Amino acid sequence: MRPAKSVIEIWLWGGPSQLETFDPKPNASRDYNGGLKSIPTNVRGTELHEWWPRLAGCADLYSIIRSMTHRQFGHETATYLMQTGRLPGGGEVFPALGTVIAQAKRREYKGDLPPSVILTRPKGRFSEVGFLGVEAAPLVTGGRPNAPRFAVDGIVPPDGITSQRAKERFELLSKLDLWHPKKGVNATLVSEFDIAGSEARRIAEGDAAKVFDLSAEPSALRDEYGRNDIGQSMLAARRLVEYGVPYVTVNLSGWDSHKRHFETMKRKSGETDAAVATLLKDLKGKGLLDSTIVWMGGEFGRTPKVGWEAPWNGGRNHYAKCFSTLVAGGGFKGGCVVGESDETASVPVSRPVSPQDFIGSIYELCGIDPEGPLPNNVGKKLPILPPSTGGGRLKEIYA
Amino acid sequence: MEMTFTRRAFLGGATALAVWPSDLWGAAKKGAKKRNPLPPDLTSLWEKPDGTATDNVMVRRMYLDIAGRIPTEREAQDYVHSKNPAKREALVMKLLESKDFVDYWTMRFCDILRVKSEFPINLWPNAVYVYHARIRSFVESGETWEHFGRALLTSQGSDFRDAEVNFFRATDRRNPEGWAEAAAQTFLGISPADLDRKRKTSFADCLSNVRIKNTREWKEEIVYVDGSDRRPELCDMIFLQNRQAVADAFLMRLRRWIFGPSAPVKSAADSKITGVRGALREIMLSPEYARGSVTGGFPARRLDAEILDDAFCSLSGATRNYQSPAPEPFSFLPPERQTVCIEDGSISSGFLSLFGRPARDTGLTDERGGDVTAKQRLYLFNSGDIHRKLGKLAVPQWKMADGSINPYYKNTPMPKRADGIYWRILSRSPSEYERKVIVNMWRKRSNGGKNRRANHGEMMRDVAWSLINTKEFLFRI
Repeated sequence: MRPAKSVIEIWLWGGPSQLETFDPKPNASRDYNGGLKSIPTNVRGTELHEWWPRLAGCADLYSIIRSMTHRQFGHETATYLMQTGRLPGGGEVFPALGTVIAQAKRREYKGDLPPSVILTRPKGRFSEVGFLGVEAAPLVTGGRPNAPRFAVDGIVPPDGITSQRAKERFELLSKLDLWHPKKGVNATLVSEFDIAGSEARRIAEGDAAKVFDLSAEPSALRDEYGRNDIGQSMLAARRLVEYGVPYVTVNLSGWDSHKRHFETMKRKSGETDAAVATLLKDLKGKGLLDSTIVWMGGEFGRTPKVGWEAPWNGGRNHYAKCFSTLVAGGGFKGGCVVGESDETASVPVSRPVSPQDFIGSIYELCGIDPEGPLPNNVGKKLPILPPSTGGGRLKEIYA
Repeated sequence: MEMTFTRRAFLGGATALAVWPSDLWGAAKKGAKKRNPLPPDLTSLWEKPDGTATDNVMVRRMYLDIAGRIPTEREAQDYVHSKNPAKREALVMKLLESKDFVDYWTMRFCDILRVKSEFPINLWPNAVYVYHARIRSFVESGETWEHFGRALLTSQGSDFRDAEVNFFRATDRRNPEGWAEAAAQTFLGISPADLDRKRKTSFADCLSNVRIKNTREWKEEIVYVDGSDRRPELCDMIFLQNRQAVADAFLMRLRRWIFGPSAPVKSAADSKITGVRGALREIMLSPEYARGSVTGGFPARRLDAEILDDAFCSLSGATRNYQSPAPEPFSFLPPERQTVCIEDGSISSGFLSLFGRPARDTGLTDERGGDVTAKQRLYLFNSGDIHRKLGKLAVPQWKMADGSINPYYKNTPMPKRADGIYWRILSRSPSEYERKVIVNMWRKRSNGGKNRRANHGEMMRDVAWSLINTKEFLFRI
């Protein structure tokens, strides 16, 4: 099996409910399922929550893990765990899997864009690069993908800067940037500065910037993704993978639904459902799904029992004992369900999957040995992942 | 479309062209058939023949290193034009007594003491603010590093009221080994990876009775000693038995912050442990600090992320938009609050991360990134943020608030414009060569004055754009 070339991470920041996504419990009481239903998918025996009809129509393209589990109930610690496979401590802050994969694939990747791109904002409250430092930092696009012009910070010139004006600016800069020690301690610094500048100009002025020109896509396809920032972010993610970027993250916030959970979930699910389903079909149609891992999930799930009382007014709080994720492509089989939860989605009753199992599987399918050494600047021999606390990597859904 | 809008908004039109000095136009026209002037050797802008830095470089250097900001046009000119033979000493002393010095160096010490609300340190906001205030008082009062260190290591009480106890909370491992590592790193400059087992064990033994407990107040914790308190013994081990090492580590930390990681090792004379102000004064007045950066060997370094952010705001009049995600509900910092004054390492932005603001996770000095990356340069070339800030340069007053001439005002004559922009951004006047480059570009854009739609504001914003992308601006040279 050939290793996956790229990964698209769809991060649902805040912790999406397992019950209103991939592990519905239609037979549980209203206190658990809110009185809502499940719907069948195109894979016999697999059901999704009723708010995900588009994904239900292409369940053969992805697999669901219903037995994700860990013990961290705080956003930051749980995010760190889900992104690094580690708990905080020990004096080091580890890089997220996106940074590790991007760095590991840096040599084989030939594009001008950085090997890790985030659409459109960083997670915040968490450093993706850890001890690898700013050089390994992902490109954060900023901007609004659904705007008439997706103004990617730094790559797409702001409105008002024509190509002529940009050319003249650089002409001025080349003539006015005159401090230039040719030897001694500062010559190296100047050289690094110039190399960084050349690289930046190559990105901004070359073909790389065209990746973000979403208007090059057929209008009907853009409609199918959804004419909103979530939908167009997914489209941009597909274009980035097509270009060759090894790791693309789409950060979607707003899943921390302590209060008025059902209203929030219904609103968020609709746009996300259409966008992710179209992404998977689009990748499949372009022949990219076999070489691209897509995974979707958050740092944890939500309390199975609904808090109907004030101040929650129908809310769900943080819950890490049992939650769900989605994986597709890049060596993962479609149409499978891993693990099973109890009748209220409170605990896994079979095949517990730890963050280390989950991340380790992605590393493995990317051709990276999870037990291999992690390059670091703290002078220590560190494995990429610590030993698993779960039931092992997801080999049952490796293609 | 946007070009039209820009021109409508900022075009000086006929009025602006009418005040363009005719002699300068003449010079430009004469030069029209000539090739672009070749850049002459401009070393003298930054360095004197004896290899020391010029006054323009020195004033900027001192403001950046002591006060954590670029000097205003007026401040730079006052220094450069001063005839006082002791003006360097005078400025060092003035800056060391300023609020800016306290703000900036408090930020530096908050980096190594890991002052942040959230993961992985988890001080939480109330404790962050009292701990920050205590560190600020250490910097401001001239308290010695030893006195401050002993206060931290022997503290007891509530994290809300007894600020020093947060030293024990601001570690990612709250146990005797974790505290031993923190003490060795903070006061002896030994990273956890380099701390030998024997010393770690002896330090940890002295801390073995330290405990932390919760109270009924949300996020309040009490640090106390359960049994005999052997921490004074630890202090003696550190500050008496290893006195020279503490003094050297303190001095070297400051020297590395000023001269970079390759700063030559210097030993503190007579094992003297001073406060921040005293140590800095010595460094700033040393011959080493006055060396030139072109051939004199003075190491340049990229400006800190926070200083850059403040510089862009002060140059453009833009404000900031920082907010704290903890505790919920969110809190918002006043837009005029300088970035170097942000107490909490958990309050950040994409810009600060991009330019290497330390996460304050480890307390190691090298956590702060000083590299120059393509992503940073892209941001400065093309980002909407920089574009918006440059757009604010065209303020419609003839004079700035401090009485100086506004170089971006449409009717300001060209030589004044170039001078003003240079003083404001680079703390010096442009050379003749640089003036010519700007004039030639304007001539080209305005087709020798025939194109009355050529946009003055746009031209000057492009000059400003060029200058903020130069090494001279982005580095402390």
